[in-house]
Amino acid sequence: MSNEKRLTIKRLAIFLVISFLPFVILIPLLWNVYGEPLYAGENEQLAAIAYVVGVFGMMIPAAAVLITRLATKEEFEKSYLGAYFKGKSGYWAASVIVPVLESITGLLMIWAFFISGTSLHDAYPNINPQTIGEFILQLSSSVIIFFPAFGEEWGWRGYMMPKLLKLMPKTAAIVVGGIIWGLWHAPLTVAGHNFGTDYPGYPFTGIGIMCLECVLMNCFLTLVTEKTRSIYPAAFFHMIHNNLNPTILILVFASADTIQRINEMSLPEKLLTTSGGTIVTAVISFILFLRMDKPQKSA
Amino acid sequence: MGGLIYRNFYTNISSFRLSVIVSAICCASFVFYSFTIRSDAENQSYLLYIIAFLLYYFCFMLSGLTSTMVFQTDENKTASAFAISLPHGGKGHIQSKYWYLLIILLTTLFITFISDTISFLILGGKFSALLVLLLLFSGRLLMFAIEIPFMVRFGAMKGIKIKGIIVSVILLLVITYLMFGDISWLLYSDDPAKALINWLKNGDIIFALSLLPPFSIFAYWLSCKISVKLFREGAENYEQ
Repeated sequence: MSNEKRLTIKRLAIFLVISFLPFVILIPLLWNVYGEPLYAGENEQLAAIAYVVGVFGMMIPAAAVLITRLATKEEFEKSYLGAYFKGKSGYWAASVIVPVLESITGLLMIWAFFISGTSLHDAYPNINPQTIGEFILQLSSSVIIFFPAFGEEWGWRGYMMPKLLKLMPKTAAIVVGGIIWGLWHAPLTVAGHNFGTDYPGYPFTGIGIMCLECVLMNCFLTLVTEKTRSIYPAAFFHMIHNNLNPTILILVFASADTIQRINEMSLPEKLLTTSGGTIVTAVISFILFLRMDKPQKSA
Repeated sequence: MGGLIYRNFYTNISSFRLSVIVSAICCASFVFYSFTIRSDAENQSYLLYIIAFLLYYFCFMLSGLTSTMVFQTDENKTASAFAISLPHGGKGHIQSKYWYLLIILLTTLFITFISDTISFLILGGKFSALLVLLLLFSGRLLMFAIEIPFMVRFGAMKGIKIKGIIVSVILLLVITYLMFGDISWLLYSDDPAKALINWLKNGDIIFALSLLPPFSIFAYWLSCKISVKLFREGAENYEQ
């Protein structure tokens, strides 16, 4: 093994330990203090803590990048912090448009496959200037106040992925990167994040689904990051995906009856419909990424 | 481009520092205030909105003042001739100033966002000023978009005067509306702050407000394009 490869593995290992450690310690600690899981508890104070843990937790990978780079004397020259638009504006636009389209596709798929016998207007009657205004505000907020997602993306796409691409083939890097990213969420998933705690196979099913979801998202995020040589489009995509996913849009646009029927859907049904757009995006992105020239060995 | 942005930071480091320090003090004040009223946050949410707006407005206003300085420092024939002679030319010179101002605003936004998140925790999730931050940021960006082309074309001092005229016109419109418009929702209310926030949450107002952030981003981009075009004409009028 060459010295350079050994150094890359060492840096990656340090980065991952620093990224994983805070959640592994904090989440069980909070569970112990409050007596209930962080994201599935009844306590109002806990809900506020969950939000703050989410915001600051997303910034952990960025802190890990900083610490690792400083500790291992790695230069910041190629750190994906620049913004380059020339010939890349399509990818920048896609990072905002694609997650919105994914969410709308999710809503349409739920209506088409599981709310049969109801017109689109009856299923989602709350489409009016107020809710559209709220939707646009949330979208703008996701793009402008992108700091939490920047924290994650600078770590995963801006540091981990270039290192993995250096160590293994593209396909393996996408899969391994996605799984690592999914496993990083494991303490949160165990504490009820995204899926709650009341589902078959808890918590392993949730962790597995999260890993799968992360592998799928990793395709598009790595593609835009490598194409634009910048971390910001991935951060925009990530933030919009978190703030405007179909589950949130349903609460804004759907009728009480529709929400009731969606709640009665099984977990696989919910996942297939809400992730339909993500799967299509992942496949297209993966093909484009494989066709792309091998990324520069910049990390 | 990185070098030009760095140069702007280097020549305006004191105003950048001042902006960060004042933002940090304002945010710390808000966090402290949140701490003092944490047990009664639900009843005081309207007052919280007003105080958050004032403190955060001050942060963004101060970071906005740096725009004058960043243009004033290069407002002479030697600096403009040097900028035009660089590989990026006048275009890079102006674009770097737009990037600098955007970074300043984003830094302020980051500080205020952290403050808002901490306040959210202290107040038990009962109050968040995220919407206020978004609108303040967008408003400030729009102001930059309007004032910078004038600064580039006519110089920083004349630019300030033109900005003053624009702000006066806006204020005049607001006063006119307050004098002749339908403000019964405000006049017959026991709590004007509460009435104002309820009015803002009205469907049509929310929709109009929601257009401000995307419009301000577009305006900022357009303003940059216009300023690049105006730079040469403006540079000819600079004093030696």
